[in-house]
Amino acid sequence: MLSRKTTDTIKSPPALWRGLCFWDTVGFTAPTRTRRRQTTVGWHPVKNKSGFDSKLLLPFGLAGGGALGTIVAGWSAWGWYTILWAALLLAAAAWSVRGGLPGGGGEHAMIEDYLAARERFGDAVLPIWCRHIENSRSQMEEAVADLAGRFSSIVDKLDDAVHVSSHDSGKGGGNAMTEIFSRSETQLGSVVTSMKSAMSSKQAMLAQIKDLERFTRELRDMAEGVASIAAQTNLLALNAAIEAARAGPAGRGFAVVATEVRNLSSRSAETGRNISNRVGLISSAILAASQAAELSSEQEDKSMQSAEGMIAAVLQDFRAMTDALVQSSDKLKQDSIGIQGEVGEALVQLQFQDRVSQVMAHVRENMEQLPALLRDNRDRYNADQVLAPLDPGPLLGDLQKTYAMAEEHAVHSGSSHAAPVAAAADEITFF
Amino acid sequence: MAKTIMVVDDSASLRQVVGIALKGAGYEVIEGRDGVDALSKCTGQKIHLVVCDVNMPNMDGITFVREFKQLPLYKFTPVIMLTTESQESKKEEGKAAGAKAWVVKPFKPEVLLGAVAKLVMP
Repeated sequence: MLSRKTTDTIKSPPALWRGLCFWDTVGFTAPTRTRRRQTTVGWHPVKNKSGFDSKLLLPFGLAGGGALGTIVAGWSAWGWYTILWAALLLAAAAWSVRGGLPGGGGEHAMIEDYLAARERFGDAVLPIWCRHIENSRSQMEEAVADLAGRFSSIVDKLDDAVHVSSHDSGKGGGNAMTEIFSRSETQLGSVVTSMKSAMSSKQAMLAQIKDLERFTRELRDMAEGVASIAAQTNLLALNAAIEAARAGPAGRGFAVVATEVRNLSSRSAETGRNISNRVGLISSAILAASQAAELSSEQEDKSMQSAEGMIAAVLQDFRAMTDALVQSSDKLKQDSIGIQGEVGEALVQLQFQDRVSQVMAHVRENMEQLPALLRDNRDRYNADQVLAPLDPGPLLGDLQKTYAMAEEHAVHSGSSHAAPVAAAADEITFF
Repeated sequence: MAKTIMVVDDSASLRQVVGIALKGAGYEVIEGRDGVDALSKCTGQKIHLVVCDVNMPNMDGITFVREFKQLPLYKFTPVIMLTTESQESKKEEGKAAGAKAWVVKPFKPEVLLGAVAKLVMP
């Protein structure tokens, strides 16, 4: 029979009874059928009121009966040999009870074997569990560190991109681009104005050239006037010569004058023709120059209009490009602000690894204590023959001492989920 | 010239995360894997602030702060403890060692940067 025991430890079972089952956390079950009842502290065998275990009755009863029968039946025939034989039977019964026979005692050996096996179990399993945990923890740390490094690289490149974009679109961003565009438009406008002014000057020059035509016409008229005067002078000189001839010797001197006048008129007529010819040449040259200047002016005017159109088109393209650049720059800045917010959230989430790593390290360190605990339990049994139940209290106490986070305490207390929340600004403690 | 902040944490990922936040705000960052490693890097260079974990191998954060404060050059360098520890007793230890602020992980970058801006040496 088994009954409840009120202390934490019990004495190891005496060798005279066997087949007990034991009470540790693994749940060892003895091979023989013996009723048991679990208590908070373990199992304990109970002897009958006389203090004699009923299990002793069978072997000693059989051996005693056999010995008595042998003595009674064989005394007359063999004498002291019969007594010796009966003594051997009793000795065999005693040896059987102590565990010498199969199915006999040996609880101590069995418990020792069990404790040794349990210790070997702990020595074999726990280091592997711990190595797996540590390996996973270190792999996770390396992976998250690598992830954070790449994340950092992405953030740096993004910052560079935003910086370059801002620089390209001017230090003031979109406004600077608009200013550059306006300045370019003004400068190009002044170039067009200056070209138009040059064109006006050319038009004035062309008008003056055309005025020269009028002067040449006047010169031609004047040359014709000279020719006409020369012709009339010649006619006058001819009449004077006739009158001088008619006057006779008195008119000889006058005849000489008339001849000279006639010569002068001839020369005047020649000069008039020459002037007329030269004026004609000059007039042709001026006309040609005027026509060339007019043609050039027309071409320049067309070129000017074309250049003006091209400048307007270039400015329009430039404006479109500037507007697009300003828009993309603004969008990049807005995206950058959004990404900075995302970065902040990601930085919070990336910290989970540190917390998980700490929890895993605490659990691993605690698990590593279990083999020593099992060894201590076995040593205690060997030393005191006291089979102490495994008490989770000290182990869990040690685990609790390693806790650094509130969530660890929460989980220890039974909470299945205790997600940490990022500290708010007012949760900083300033000393 | 950018100010220099030393980040001491045994977790490489945490050092990276804190580094991203600080570099993004324009600070230069030097790292220490634990108290011993961090002290070996305190060789005369100007350090404007230290952000330090508490639970670390080789030398824990509280001991590091205590020894860091013994160095004449860094006597007045402010230290922010950045840790998962939230026990008041630990905070008192940090305060006694010479820390100026206590921030519990996980932290929001703006919260840490706020504390850094408030305490960093001019």
